[in-house]
Amino acid sequence: MSADPQANRLLKGAAFAVLAFLVLPSLIVVPISFGDTHEMVFPPPSLSLDLYRQYFGDPQWLAATWLSVRVAIWTTLISLLLGIPAAYGLVRGRFPGKRLVAMFLLSPIMVPSVVIALGLYIYFVRIGLSHGELRLVLGLTVVTMPFVIVTATAGLQNVDPNLEKAATVMGAGPFTVLFRVTLPLLKPAIVGGSLFAFLMSFDEVVIAWFITRAGYETLPIKMFSSIQWEISPVLAAVSSLLMLFSVVVCVLVVVTRRNEPQQ
Amino acid sequence: MTQRRFKTAYFVIPAVVFMIAVYALPLAGVALQSVTDADGGSWSLAGYRDIFSSTLFYKVAWSTFTISLLSTTVSLSLAFPLAYFLSKQRPKVRAVLMIFVLVPFWTSVLVKAFAFTILLGQSGIINDALAFFGLGPLPLLFNKAGVIVGMSHFLIPFMVFPILTSLMAQPPELRRAASIMGAGRLRIFFRITLPLCLPGIMTGTLLVLILSLGFFVVPALLGGRQDMMLSNLVDFYTRETLNWQAASTLAVILFSFAMIVAYTLARVPGGSSLLGGQDR
Repeated sequence: MSADPQANRLLKGAAFAVLAFLVLPSLIVVPISFGDTHEMVFPPPSLSLDLYRQYFGDPQWLAATWLSVRVAIWTTLISLLLGIPAAYGLVRGRFPGKRLVAMFLLSPIMVPSVVIALGLYIYFVRIGLSHGELRLVLGLTVVTMPFVIVTATAGLQNVDPNLEKAATVMGAGPFTVLFRVTLPLLKPAIVGGSLFAFLMSFDEVVIAWFITRAGYETLPIKMFSSIQWEISPVLAAVSSLLMLFSVVVCVLVVVTRRNEPQQ
Repeated sequence: MTQRRFKTAYFVIPAVVFMIAVYALPLAGVALQSVTDADGGSWSLAGYRDIFSSTLFYKVAWSTFTISLLSTTVSLSLAFPLAYFLSKQRPKVRAVLMIFVLVPFWTSVLVKAFAFTILLGQSGIINDALAFFGLGPLPLLFNKAGVIVGMSHFLIPFMVFPILTSLMAQPPELRRAASIMGAGRLRIFFRITLPLCLPGIMTGTLLVLILSLGFFVVPALLGGRQDMMLSNLVDFYTRETLNWQAASTLAVILFSFAMIVAYTLARVPGGSSLLGGQDR
């Protein structure tokens, strides 16, 4: 744009300062993760993989990681199984109270997680649900499903309803239309939604912290208590791996979006 | 055709049933628990009486509000220049710079909290650097400063997205027209750009306010004892004193605060799309 290079420089400086603030944590955790096992020094005086070895050699950290992976897989599957049909019904269907149903299904995004967490904690005690892993899967699905619905809804709005109409005219039932026409066209939205749902479930702390039982420590819970009680250097390795995981997911989503036919 | 429409509506049923069983009933349980006494027997407003007569509640509610408002203000004042700068870049450059917003957005809050304990601590990186210049250690961790830094870091992306969206939606012809008619840069900014992106600013601010009211991890890990927020107090009553009624009462209060802000958000043009409205 025109004139005033000074104002432009000021804006650029401010923007880059904020970007620096945003990436700062990642920038210091990674070097520290290659440092010493006894003391966290930045920058580390010598580089090693000791902290990673410590993480991969510690059965407790590994058990927490596997629990989080298993729970995230189940959570994602259930969210997809329920969320995608729901998005389909909300976008294509016409029924009384549709807005209200949409608001209800998406409301967990706005409700503070501690309220949901306390609710589930009391509820599970009352109905006597004591299966540690099932509790986590059910509870975390409450926060991931709205997200899948949002992603699938956005994707569906890009799918031309005439394609579905054409299939219906030619005699396909609603299930055939859903599975043979709509879902294949929705694939990028589904892949993106499920990657993010997995990541969300994998990182969730508050609900898991409330509803988990002794012996069912997810990775975020283990990290939470570990930062709270003794800040162990192995956390740097765990954090770096988690960050790498987030980056991989973001890249995968960008790649699948790029292959999207429309756009 | 109407027949088919009706059948399509059935597809929402499994999700609705699931959410009633695992979300609506638990929330209703909290509301019920807040008005029944500890043994789960009779009706009682003792929970509300206890909460509203406890100084701890007022202290925590007060710090929740001040911390939320402060971190919302900090994130708005940091996110706006960033969004404005991003909106003026070429699409390629913007896409690259957005990575630096998206990666922190998708990074676990625990990773950030851990990083900030290393950065801000008594013998953390910042204080080490200060000591090198002979400056005394600044108290940055386990106090309000730590909480606000950590929360703003988390919230900035949530503020950038809606502001950037509304800045990008402005037709550049408007600015060009104003400029041809002789408006200066500042005038264009204050009379055109800023007013047109107010809905984006409002959406971002209210969204960030809702999120900050419910913060749990950051105050627990980066704050001190005085910086407890309402979520942490719910945890305290549930875990330490096993007082479900007080915990539920607090949860109802927190829920109401969040819903008041969410209701306001739904009034903002374009804001309701975040709540499941279809008007986008």
